[in-house]
Amino acid sequence: MLKIIHLCGLCGLAVNRSVSVFSLLFSLLLSSSGAELSPKELASAVAAKQEGDAYIRLRLQVKPTGSAADETLQIQIKERRTKTATDLVYQVLWPQPRKGESVLLHQEAGRPASGSLFTPPDKVQTLTASQLRQPFFDSDLSYLDVIEDPLSWESQTITGTEVVNGVNCTVLESKPNKGESEYAKVRSWIDPNRLVQMRIEKYSPSGEVKMRIETSRVSNDDKGRPIPANLIVQDPKNGSVTELDGSRIKHNVTFSDSEFSSEGLKQVSAPTAAAE
Amino acid sequence: MSFVTVVFRGLIRRRTRTTLTLLGISIGIAAVVALVGLSRGLNKSWAAGMRARGTDVVVSNMTSSLVPKPFNATVRDRIAHLPHIAATCSLLVDLMSVENTEMIMVSGREWGGFTWANLKLISGRMPNDAQEKAVVLGRTAADVLKKKVGDPIQIETAELKVVGIVDGNAWVENGSVILSLPLLQEITDDQDRINVIDVRLTPGTSRADVQSLCEQINQLVPEARAIVASENLNQSEISRIVGAMSWSTSLLAVLVGVLGVMNTMLMNVFERTPEICVLLALGWKRRRIVELVLWESAILGLLGGIIGVFIGVAGVRLLGATPSIRGLLEPDIGIRLLAVSVAIAILVGVVSGLYPAWRSSRVTPSQALHG
Repeated sequence: MLKIIHLCGLCGLAVNRSVSVFSLLFSLLLSSSGAELSPKELASAVAAKQEGDAYIRLRLQVKPTGSAADETLQIQIKERRTKTATDLVYQVLWPQPRKGESVLLHQEAGRPASGSLFTPPDKVQTLTASQLRQPFFDSDLSYLDVIEDPLSWESQTITGTEVVNGVNCTVLESKPNKGESEYAKVRSWIDPNRLVQMRIEKYSPSGEVKMRIETSRVSNDDKGRPIPANLIVQDPKNGSVTELDGSRIKHNVTFSDSEFSSEGLKQVSAPTAAAE
Repeated sequence: MSFVTVVFRGLIRRRTRTTLTLLGISIGIAAVVALVGLSRGLNKSWAAGMRARGTDVVVSNMTSSLVPKPFNATVRDRIAHLPHIAATCSLLVDLMSVENTEMIMVSGREWGGFTWANLKLISGRMPNDAQEKAVVLGRTAADVLKKKVGDPIQIETAELKVVGIVDGNAWVENGSVILSLPLLQEITDDQDRINVIDVRLTPGTSRADVQSLCEQINQLVPEARAIVASENLNQSEISRIVGAMSWSTSLLAVLVGVLGVMNTMLMNVFERTPEICVLLALGWKRRRIVELVLWESAILGLLGGIIGVFIGVAGVRLLGATPSIRGLLEPDIGIRLLAVSVAIAILVGVVSGLYPAWRSSRVTPSQALHG
């Protein structure tokens, strides 16, 4: 449904507006249910949707400022998330010259993240703390942005409500413990009915917005749950934009432990079996 | 001075205002042409694709998404023996982001099935067998993906080879990446799953028999639904939503046009009160004054409609060339749609002129003396 709306720009605009109006009315009718959650409960409810094993396919498009050309990557993600640890593998499928470039990221609750980068044919490099702050596949995100989960931080506060893209959202402010993140705070605009983050802003210690992530499309996943399907990442400082367009997600996939190891990075393969 | 001269003089009296009003109607009519043309094109492209594939009945689970929901491949075996079915072909169809494209139709087809037969080779060859890691591209798909025979193509984790470019005789077919069903099932990890069964009927099957067959299939396989091929997309939720959205957006645009013309005609009547008074003093009947205003607004509608049709057609051509749409759907802008659009524009003009015309009929010659 949503894809075909993209086919006709004007039509899409109309549909999006109508959907927004309905979403707004719907949100207003149901806002009491979201408002009943405490900040931690809200953060946990959103985070819970991400738990488990998943295989994701996405298109990552980097739109640099100036005359530099856009770069598009087709990427597959293998993720394994529990309450206590997160393992992520990102692998480039296309373009051909970059095929096989892979990143393995790992983080346990309350511990610093670690990561490895594989560059074909055989270079495996362990990422240092400073390298984890480097751009992730030349995008506006860093490796830490990908693995870090502000919803799991100890300090969670609801600061108010605000309408984002026609959706009445609860604004959740997450603050890390000392040394837990390079950001001083992260604000999430959460649709309390669908439990989807419609906007995320990450702030530096000086209060400056370092990164803004907007959800431009929400789709249902293979379990019928609403999830952000299209994200636009903006770096307000240099004006560059990264678009992440999710095309496929599968849960209940079976991963072997080796797929989340340095050796596993060398194999570009989809999950071998999917448990229905 | 003839009646026609008075009508046209009224229109060119305030050129800028008339031009802006025309622009308002034109945009409304352009929206009608573009949006309705695109939504009808969605259905037409689908029906043409079905005809080109030689498919009479489609068995699928077309819900709210554009791509049907997958079901077990054994469904085919459960229906293949039914009367009037000459042949069946299982497919797994998906919209995927392939390489640089945001979205393209990828069609996995049962090897040896009749849906391969309509594909005419433009260059290269067909895959040798179901296992060969090869695809053929519809000519538009080849263009969009910038591929030629021999090029590699990455679909999900699999690197395949383009072995042929084909003409599928329909927009949908030409915009597709086509490969064998087992290969796509392997790539998408959808072993034993399909989402479409194309059914070809025996020649001479009557309409009543087709309906009866669809009912039989629907009873046999509740996980899917059999629909006459040309009506398949028409009956889907997506098609109905897109159609409703197109018309409602268009009507809103037309409403803006109505208000624009009404405003212009009202201003016209107010400004021309002395002139109307003189015409009444010269013996014009009130009915003729009403006709004068209605003719002016109808001509505004007609001209706006004609300009709007041109803008709409140009807009649709432009939209059709954008990467998101190219190869996926063919806008359907027939003479009938254009004629209906111009008729709507004239109606808009006449309706918009009704109130100003009524106001003009209440003017009395003595008002001219008061200025």
